[in-house]
Amino acid sequence: MRIVSGGKTDVGRVRSNNEDCFRIVDSLNLFILSDGMGGEAHGEIASALAVETVVKHCLEAENNPAAPIYGETKAGWSDRTKRLSSAVYLANRKIFESAETYPEQRGMGATLTAAWIEDDKLSIAHVGDSRAYLLRTGGLQQLTSDHSLVAEQVRRGVLTPAEAERSDMQSVLLRALGAQQKIEVDAEEQPLFSGDILLLCSDGLTRMVTEPEIAGALQSEVDPERAAEKLINLANENGGADNVTAVVVRMESVSKSWFSWLRRGARKHAGSNGSAGGK
Amino acid sequence: MAKLSLMFENKLVKEVPVGGRPVGIGRSPDNDLPVDNLAVSNYHARVYFEAGRLVVEDLDSLNGTFVNDLRVERATLHDGDRIHIGKHHIKVDATGDAPVPVDTGRKTTAPRIDETMVLDTKVRREMLQQAAAMGESMQFAANRMKVPTLIVLSGKTDQKEYVLTNKLTVIGKSPMATVRMSGWFKPKMAAQINQRDDGYYIGPGDKTPNVNGVPIPGPVRLADGDLIEVSGVRLNFIFRE
Repeated sequence: MRIVSGGKTDVGRVRSNNEDCFRIVDSLNLFILSDGMGGEAHGEIASALAVETVVKHCLEAENNPAAPIYGETKAGWSDRTKRLSSAVYLANRKIFESAETYPEQRGMGATLTAAWIEDDKLSIAHVGDSRAYLLRTGGLQQLTSDHSLVAEQVRRGVLTPAEAERSDMQSVLLRALGAQQKIEVDAEEQPLFSGDILLLCSDGLTRMVTEPEIAGALQSEVDPERAAEKLINLANENGGADNVTAVVVRMESVSKSWFSWLRRGARKHAGSNGSAGGK
Repeated sequence: MAKLSLMFENKLVKEVPVGGRPVGIGRSPDNDLPVDNLAVSNYHARVYFEAGRLVVEDLDSLNGTFVNDLRVERATLHDGDRIHIGKHHIKVDATGDAPVPVDTGRKTTAPRIDETMVLDTKVRREMLQQAAAMGESMQFAANRMKVPTLIVLSGKTDQKEYVLTNKLTVIGKSPMATVRMSGWFKPKMAAQINQRDDGYYIGPGDKTPNVNGVPIPGPVRLADGDLIEVSGVRLNFIFRE
């Protein structure tokens, strides 16, 4: 599988500063997105600190796999999933400690959604209301649960999804980095298949653009960076009420497609041994 | 005498004194201070005097009661405090009353916000941090935990039963599939089940699954007892108590 990716962030149409932050580490196939919160410039500090911490922790672990793992991990997880969960746990601590040290930063926090791909295995670690989606066989599969009050109310059957979208309480999070010394990190792993498209995005996208629109944009634009740009334009056309960030990762098949096998076959006049084309 | 002033977007809606009897606040019209908003529970909170202190108590409301933007179950009120309930807020006037004790019962000090929290993104964000800080102490009743389970009725799979714990459950021959099929000509990813906030949705993979005998080309929410058929495997989706 060949992995191509691109990302874009935008301040939106209403805000004056961008508290979103993302990073693509090509060498590791590591993708991180964070949406900061807090007065003055502190939201930006929080999301940048979150992203930096995750990148650093994962890079260090590449050189030193024995580096300590923070937070709780499940026995069945791969090393990558454990490391990614640990990185998010550590990011929470860094933000919390920074706010303890600098009183003016008190109250700052961030969401974090991180994806790490190794071969055909995807590891996801997540806190907050940014999201990871997988576009597969034409439909968006949501890979993360929002840690927001309204999402929890929907899960408990108190609100319908439509009521949640209209709620005034949409911005109330139940879990975010930096709020407490310890945090529960959601993490899990998924198999990936050629043709899958992974999307990480901030709530500035999901609150402005419907899922079918998102799926349509991802399918219509092959270049990941241009797809991210297209999503941001959609969010801004619909009002751009918040900062908006999208990271798009495409899983492309490496070997020849069935079509190219046919062509090659034709050229070589070799039609005898025909198992269907590569994966 | 202490009094409470119900405000909506800085406009006074109603004013009530607090005397010997608790002041009920909620959406139901029989409250002393009715608040007409869907985000407010029928009997949301009450305010009363206890040992000379003015106290607000949340009545297990859904969206919570916030004093100066910190979610509280119970808190002592001071003059000038603001109680936020849904989109409304209540100004607390405790002047001319019994001395207010120092102990507030609040764990941390919240930043004071002079504007209403209504519709203002910045204030919402600040409230959000408070809510996040309260985190796990949010008083939700423990959910009737039902366990979504797939039971294999026929066909070759690596287990007879699967508890759906992942956000996305893959059914197929892939070594990483949750419901792992075996046998010739089975697709790597026959179908998939996505856990959304409002339930479990089955969608097509390389094959179009049948649910209760009907082919489903797009995601369909599964109901308790549904029968799934895909690539020669029959599965029963149930919620286990």
